[in-house]
Amino acid sequence: MANKKAFGKLKGREAMVLGIIAAMVILFSVLSSTFRTYPTLVSVLDISYYITLMALGVTFPLITGGVDLSIGTGLVSYALIGGFLIVHQGVPVGVGILACIGIGVLVGVFNGVLIAVMDLPPFLATLCTCMITRGLGPALCGGFGVSWPSAISADGAFRNVFKFTSDSGTVIPIGIVFMIVLVGIMSFVLEHTRVGRYTIAIGSNKEATRLAGVNVKFYHMLAYIISGLFAGLAGVAYAATYATIYPGSGAGFELDAIGGAIVGGVSASGGVGSIVGAFLGVFVICLMKVGLPFIGLQANWQQIFTGIVLIAAVLIDVIKKKK
Amino acid sequence: MGDIILTMKDIDKSFPGVHALDHVDLEVRKGEVLALMGENGAGKSTLMKVLTGIYKKDSGTITYEGKEVEFKNTREAQEAGIVIVHQELNMLGHLSVAQNLFIGREFRKGIRIDDKKMNEEAKKLFDRLNVDIDPTETMSNLTVGKQQMCEIAKAVSFDAKVIIFDEPSAALTESEIEEMFKIIRDLKKKDIAMVYISHRMDEIKVITDRVTVMRDGTYVGTLITEECSKEDIINMMVGRVIYEDPKTESAVPKDAPVVLKVEHLNAGKMVQDVSFELRKGEILGFSGLMGAGRTETARALFGADPKESGDIYVNGKKVTINNPQDAVNCGIGYLSEDRKRYGIVVQKTVAENTTMASVNDFMKGIFIDKKKEKEIADKYVEALATKTPDVEQLVVNLSGGNQQKVVIAKWLTRNSDILIFDEPTRGIDVGAKNEIYKLMNKLVAEGKSIIMISSEMTEILRMSDRIVVMCEGKKTGEIDISEAKQENIMNLATREIE
Amino acid sequence: MKKKMLAVLLSSAMVLSMAACSGGNQDGGSASSDGGETETSSDDGGSDGGGSYTFEVLVKSFQSTYWQAAVQGIEQACDELGVKANANGPANESDIADQITMINDAIQKKPDGIGLAACDASSVIDSLGKAAEAGIPVVCFDTGVDDAPEGSVYATVATDNASAGAVAAENMFPVIEEKIKAASSSAQVRVGEVNQDATGLNIQQRGLGFIEKMIELCGGADKKVAVVGNEFYVNASKDKGTVDEKEADVIIEVGVPAQTTVDLASTEAQKIMSKKDTIAIFGSNQTTAEGVITANQTLNKLATDPEKGIIGVGFDAGTPQKEAILNDQFIGSVTQSPLMMGYECIQTLNKIANGEDVSDIPMNGYWYNKDNMEDDDIKPNLYD
Repeated sequence: MANKKAFGKLKGREAMVLGIIAAMVILFSVLSSTFRTYPTLVSVLDISYYITLMALGVTFPLITGGVDLSIGTGLVSYALIGGFLIVHQGVPVGVGILACIGIGVLVGVFNGVLIAVMDLPPFLATLCTCMITRGLGPALCGGFGVSWPSAISADGAFRNVFKFTSDSGTVIPIGIVFMIVLVGIMSFVLEHTRVGRYTIAIGSNKEATRLAGVNVKFYHMLAYIISGLFAGLAGVAYAATYATIYPGSGAGFELDAIGGAIVGGVSASGGVGSIVGAFLGVFVICLMKVGLPFIGLQANWQQIFTGIVLIAAVLIDVIKKKK
Repeated sequence: MGDIILTMKDIDKSFPGVHALDHVDLEVRKGEVLALMGENGAGKSTLMKVLTGIYKKDSGTITYEGKEVEFKNTREAQEAGIVIVHQELNMLGHLSVAQNLFIGREFRKGIRIDDKKMNEEAKKLFDRLNVDIDPTETMSNLTVGKQQMCEIAKAVSFDAKVIIFDEPSAALTESEIEEMFKIIRDLKKKDIAMVYISHRMDEIKVITDRVTVMRDGTYVGTLITEECSKEDIINMMVGRVIYEDPKTESAVPKDAPVVLKVEHLNAGKMVQDVSFELRKGEILGFSGLMGAGRTETARALFGADPKESGDIYVNGKKVTINNPQDAVNCGIGYLSEDRKRYGIVVQKTVAENTTMASVNDFMKGIFIDKKKEKEIADKYVEALATKTPDVEQLVVNLSGGNQQKVVIAKWLTRNSDILIFDEPTRGIDVGAKNEIYKLMNKLVAEGKSIIMISSEMTEILRMSDRIVVMCEGKKTGEIDISEAKQENIMNLATREIE
Repeated sequence: MKKKMLAVLLSSAMVLSMAACSGGNQDGGSASSDGGETETSSDDGGSDGGGSYTFEVLVKSFQSTYWQAAVQGIEQACDELGVKANANGPANESDIADQITMINDAIQKKPDGIGLAACDASSVIDSLGKAAEAGIPVVCFDTGVDDAPEGSVYATVATDNASAGAVAAENMFPVIEEKIKAASSSAQVRVGEVNQDATGLNIQQRGLGFIEKMIELCGGADKKVAVVGNEFYVNASKDKGTVDEKEADVIIEVGVPAQTTVDLASTEAQKIMSKKDTIAIFGSNQTTAEGVITANQTLNKLATDPEKGIIGVGFDAGTPQKEAILNDQFIGSVTQSPLMMGYECIQTLNKIANGEDVSDIPMNGYWYNKDNMEDDDIKPNLYD
């Protein structure tokens, strides 16, 4: 509305990604009869939760023209610490969840200070926090893996937030409802609040934004705090969806989220992108993760294929820009 | 003339190693346009930054509307009514016009930004200024001129009482400048005070009421524009007389051999069927308004951008130029208008930049022959009078004019006989400009040939032997210097506009 | 905590004496029972057991709770013998280079011996050579190094992974035997296996151990078997008497996730479990076993009765797997004894330091299910 042309462009991109998703679903369904089943859909959604949450957050640093590489190892680390507190220190589950999110926010603040205040390049700064978070969780938890309380245990109710199993045994992936609500909220934040407006402004021209009297340091930092917050939420989603959190894992998770956002039209050079686009882009990644094994593509080929799709997505942007 | 609204007195500011402002005075009155002039580095921008709170002054007083003030940041200055329209456009390309206008002070309904109201307010503002811009348009889709209008509109929207224009016309076409002047005259009527920083003498004469001149961080004096001549101002700026007499006759013999011939060159909308010849020892000026397609022609000729069709002959022989490497091999050198992006590598030394285009001639096995490199670099530093402590100096530490000389040295080292100078003196101060001119004259005297793209009429008239004029991607005429006048050039340059 | 520790110590001492007895190593047996007795006064280090040696121990990673048990065993042996061991390891099993650095650092410290669980068997060979030159004895545990330089590795304490994989097949087969017997090329049945990767030697041996045993058992029931899925396992089992997929009565499908994460492991499991002819599935390590459990949260197909659903078998331990067994999702799992491997590693190093002769100690894989999970010889290995 405010921005007809840019808006129109994004709409086009989102429609295109939707088209790709539809094409992938049709392709996989034709090639594999077991793919076109309800449990597979649930599985795609399962995988999508933590990646979606990471993507919603990391879209903000991306739009400022930066990146947050610490979210992957971060989410594992936060989930590990949260789980450690619950399982080994006996704190209530709710407190463990808050700790998981809280540490995410703290790491976000740390990234924000490094980048917005001390002017470190985002790639470098978050690469370092990626290493720090990778070691942080195992270091605080004695180096061992942790399983959050399972769905059937007394403390496992939080898992139902993402996957609700009814008495008759039917699984309802209600997590997607929360994702859509969060997409709505973050879309609003990006497009209709000062936080979002200044995020785009910083990605567009940081100096000009500063000269306009905007507290650039604060809003630049805020982008990384949002990213950290959502990495913490992703940690909870990961812990809720899967069994054991393994220390030292998580490297590479951030690439699924960043890749998804970029497929969805978020520009790696800043200024451009939408939450809805990032959300849809994540589904392209998740469909590949689940669908490629189903059509019988073996591990190595899955990775090759995923790499090619990402290159294609980035190429579309480059070619568009040239025109 | 109105009352004094702003007085800066005895302003002093030092940076480590530099006394940037040495007890400078400035006085601005309501409803006037005050030109602030001086060579690059004279301290104009620093003074304005002290005024608007970007820098903190060491001593001195600022009196605004009768009260002593000291703004902590641009925002405070804005709120008090002092606004800068910057030299580099401060636009946010990905946001809409209205979003740009109100960045940092959005209208809101709760936490929601009220874009609708912002669009309405922007529309009102443009109507008031008589500018035709759609507030919902994405900023990066506007022309540079329109973007500049937005900047001015933004300043006005602050209820500004003092607007500072920092080289506002640098990127504007003649007609856009005219449009801007209309707005400035409007603002004058509304009793707004304006400070106009510019290097363009013609504009100063047209739009300003008084001229304050600075040199080397000091206040030199203030003149009434109507009562002074160009030379008066320039003398105050540089402390010496500059000859800006146009060339009256070409020194190139009529039968000098044609070194470069371009026929029916086509490359997109900006280069349509362009043909011309360049003779040995000649400076061929390319004139035209911003966006006339001159740089695009040069880039297509040089192989930097793809071309659709056209034949190129060097010394009578047809050549194929598909990329800059081909062009360089044909003896063509291109000195970009954007030195920092295309011309030099600022983090390398003078010597390394000098040999950059001809590294192959400086190899000893697989290593670069540093001694030979230094020799040639020294030679050109001397020949071009490049001001650098030594050739091992990083180029980033040189002034604009001397950087330009390093680029020239690079192409001379490559034995380029045809040099394309694209805006050779942009961002270079008056003294250094003269040296570049001398150098160009020396080069053609030595048998090199030069294509000079320039947006400055005085430069075109002073340097060219012949002038090609372009307009909207087409060549609209060719004038020998003996017949060239500002009027007939401008006539050709605007022929298709209307 | 203290109570738990006591129980672990006591029970492991018993396990040790049994293992040692079966190995015919009387010295070890008596040493361990000494340990068991002196345990209560472990504060003063029990230093009467010999010189106070210092050992450097390098585990593969801290990625899995698996190593919790190994480090526990190491600490336990140290307490008993009054020796010191510094345990260290990279963040991830794939951080091969990090581990090499750690080994080299360990050699620099000139310890009395090094215990090593090598991330990558071929990469540590140089370092082992250095250790040999420096006269530092090395005992490999968990993973052997086949091409170790002469005189560097004194002994290897490792699970025989092929036989551990076979244990899974042996215990799975009786449950699905009727289904297998009823199978034909027109009514095929499918047995799934999810392996974490196709490059780690342990996992390879374990995966193939299961496949080979399953082929052998099916052969005993006169059924032809085809192996499909991951290229490595398909090719590696070609000479084991497999047939083409179309002619087979029983299909063994091997899935390997693109990355070693639970979400991708669960996708692989789900892919196999979604197929109508699947009757059983084996997750060959903790990650993949949990992958099977995760997939089942959605599919709800696992059962202990082959008529009612898919038979699940896991490997190693961890809370989710133990819960799966208690809740009739898995019929059982195979556990290694990381605790015993860590323990034996220190015991062996101590013997070497004392100048005694040592030999390789093969460790078994132990089948555990609902019935024997609480048994004294099983429980300590079932880490959370």
